Amino acid sequence: MTGTALLFLVLGLGLIGWIAGRARAAVFVRNAKGGPRGTVNSLPFYHGWFVAIWAIVPALVFMFIWQSISPALVTNMVLSAPAAADLPQDGFARAAILSEARAIAQGFQTAAFQDASEKLVPLYKNALSYYKWIGVAATLLLLFAGGAFAFTRIKPDFRARSKVERIVMFGLLVASLIAILTTLGIFASLIFESWRFFSMVSPFEFLFGTEWNPKSTVTPGADNGYGAIPLFWGTIFIGAIIAMIVAIPLGLMSAIFLTQYASATVRKWMKPILEILAGLPTVVYGYFAALTVAPAVRDFAVMLGVSNAASDNALAAGIVMGVMIIPLVSSMSDDSIAAVPNAMRDGSLAMGATKSETIKQVLLPAALPGVVGGVLLAVSRAIGETMIVVMAAGYTANLTANPFATITTVTVQIVALLTGDQDFGSPHTLAAFALGLALFVTTFFLNYVALRVVKKYREAYE
Amino acid sequence: MSNAIMDPTPTDWNGQIMQKRIARRYAAERRFKAMGFVAVALSTLFLAFLLFTMMGQGLRGFQRTEIAVDFDFPALTSGATAASISGPNADAALNSMDVPGIVELAVSQQYGDLSEGLLTAGAAGNVRQMLVDNPSLVTAKQQLWLPADSRLDVAFKRSGEPEAEKTVAALAQKDALRTGFNWTFLTGADATDPSAVGIWAAFKGSLMTMAITLMLAFPIGVLAALYLEEYAAKNRLTDMIEVSINNLAAVPSIIFGLLGLAVFLTLFGMPRSSALVGGLTLALMTMPVIVIAGRNAVKSVPPSIREAALGIGASPVQVVFHHVLPLALPGILTGTIIGMARALGETAPLLMIGMRAFIPSAPQGFTDATTALPVQIYLWSDEVNQGFVEKTSAAIIVLLIFLLGMNALAIYLRNRFETRW
Repeated sequence: MTGTALLFLVLGLGLIGWIAGRARAAVFVRNAKGGPRGTVNSLPFYHGWFVAIWAIVPALVFMFIWQSISPALVTNMVLSAPAAADLPQDGFARAAILSEARAIAQGFQTAAFQDASEKLVPLYKNALSYYKWIGVAATLLLLFAGGAFAFTRIKPDFRARSKVERIVMFGLLVASLIAILTTLGIFASLIFESWRFFSMVSPFEFLFGTEWNPKSTVTPGADNGYGAIPLFWGTIFIGAIIAMIVAIPLGLMSAIFLTQYASATVRKWMKPILEILAGLPTVVYGYFAALTVAPAVRDFAVMLGVSNAASDNALAAGIVMGVMIIPLVSSMSDDSIAAVPNAMRDGSLAMGATKSETIKQVLLPAALPGVVGGVLLAVSRAIGETMIVVMAAGYTANLTANPFATITTVTVQIVALLTGDQDFGSPHTLAAFALGLALFVTTFFLNYVALRVVKKYREAYE
Repeated sequence: MSNAIMDPTPTDWNGQIMQKRIARRYAAERRFKAMGFVAVALSTLFLAFLLFTMMGQGLRGFQRTEIAVDFDFPALTSGATAASISGPNADAALNSMDVPGIVELAVSQQYGDLSEGLLTAGAAGNVRQMLVDNPSLVTAKQQLWLPADSRLDVAFKRSGEPEAEKTVAALAQKDALRTGFNWTFLTGADATDPSAVGIWAAFKGSLMTMAITLMLAFPIGVLAALYLEEYAAKNRLTDMIEVSINNLAAVPSIIFGLLGLAVFLTLFGMPRSSALVGGLTLALMTMPVIVIAGRNAVKSVPPSIREAALGIGASPVQVVFHHVLPLALPGILTGTIIGMARALGETAPLLMIGMRAFIPSAPQGFTDATTALPVQIYLWSDEVNQGFVEKTSAAIIVLLIFLLGMNALAIYLRNRFETRW
């Protein structure tokens, strides 16, 4: 029986419990008809829910726990068998054989590449089915026990509603805790893997080294090519410099034109059109950058006389990324300009200033904190952006300010390090987590500052 | 300035200096306005250019070049009948007939020297399917239109290698070329030959991933939004939840991929590249979006509704689930659809959890290795073969149509059900 089938069985039995509980309570209601009011405390369907929850929830919790502990039990059982005695002692080879045997036994893989694993397949099959049936039996037992317990508690004066509502409230709290759990999960996994990485490669080399050419085996103390400065520079150059040179003027001027000059009809049509730019998947931008923009930029560079212009140049990726960011800058500027009190604008216009003078000398300075907050958010978005740079920028680390050269970024290298069939514990894989940690901390910081700036500025005019 | 205040004579507004100055200021005004217009126009032009490029290339991806091949079936199959290749034994009969050999023979008989690499690798499969669909074909001479090899396809549609161009010219002279609708593209899976690729497998993978995402992110997101907006006490835990949600909404998507890799794949040992893991990862990414949209929707339900319900004796849980939630649902749904549209276009996290393998068949279950539509676009964009360019653009068109549909649905829901209190 597969996990999915068991899940449906549990849910189906829960439904039966719901019907049974509800029917039993309905009988009380019928008997109480004509009797004193309020003899049945809760509506019948609350009793139904009470039974269903008691039947389903413990069973599901057990299924989940069993899912995570049974692999270890299965492995133990296989290892304790005599046939497993002659397995190699070496950890890696042993794990490889075990995982292959397991994959074959589960049907994910058809043929074995190692003879040793072939022998273990029947053992694995036995152990898997043994523990699977234990799991199924225990799940069903729990389900019936829970259901029966709840069913016997149904009485006319049983406060089923308040019990169910307490469980609902608990469920709501659990749902909100998942956000914290995810954040903690991100933090824990990044820090844990980075810590493993830094026990191999010194943090000093990683943060201050200028050569990025990661070797797959590292020697402690020596230079292993894990200097991330070129990556940090590439990320800043593409995301925070080139993209912003495109996005800030275009986004800001678009916002000014649409809010201050355009007629209502133009605004009604143009705003959603600009929003489309933010809604396009990044893979589409990446493809466009790689296929159309990058060759055009290279031809332009060759025309200018730059002989070593690369086809995967930083400029193309930066320009396209900037276009993607325009709506973000535009809507943040829009919000902060709209938040400037009308009295200031009217005052300036009344003094005889033209519209553009009012905008440049009154509205923009007043809205500046909001615009800066928006730009910070945009930078955070740009440096975390992956697909555009993966497809349009290059893979070679270069510490240069030449926009026509190939420059790589943190996100590109994360993708590059994790593709290729590497073992999870290899320095390549772990380096990706260290880069991820750097990226996470930077974007977190930028977002935090941006939100603080925007919030503070809003309060100033309220 | 101080002179102007001191000077008792009034300013001569009609004087030449003043007129010049006003003209200069008005010119600056016009320039500024023009700059704004140019900014909007540039952004729009870029969008138009992008969509136009994708359309221009992508529409060709839905077409394929077909070559007429004459089959003298009675001679080629040494007398197979419609009855012998239909019924329960059809599979075995067709296998023993050696359809690929027959196709090769027919092509070489008709086209001689040209026949090398004329048809796509899947052409024999097409012939076989035609025979299964209509066994009576086998009893007579037939002219069948079969998909051309990708090199010829490129050469016929645009311009390709000189060799292929020559073959195309020769074929065109014999009137043996035509353009047909590429059904394979909508029903097939990934392949090494661009004329045989399809997006159905990737699309199915995307749908399955989205199903998992929706099943997890929607209930959790809605429940969390209700808790934070309706019940949460003002304490440190609530603050932490709020900070986490706002932060998660801004975390780069690739970080979620790293989380999926470290937790779902390595720690829990879930199957690599599966729709299950992809869905879980995207659900964590989409949930904050749904929570934020949900909170706004719940907030916009007026307090009078809650007070009225409380006043006639409803419990706090009943107030929320019987009154507030149904009224907030259109807003929540709109936010959910927008979040799902974002998840549908997301590529980077899926690359991290291994969804970049070459998978030539559609997934059968949630734990099968699969690919997703945006990942397929990325994989095809990496191919050197010229034939993949139009397929990539065509896949992008399919993706964009779906995103457009989802956003249109969100807008429709908002306009149809949104209540202004």
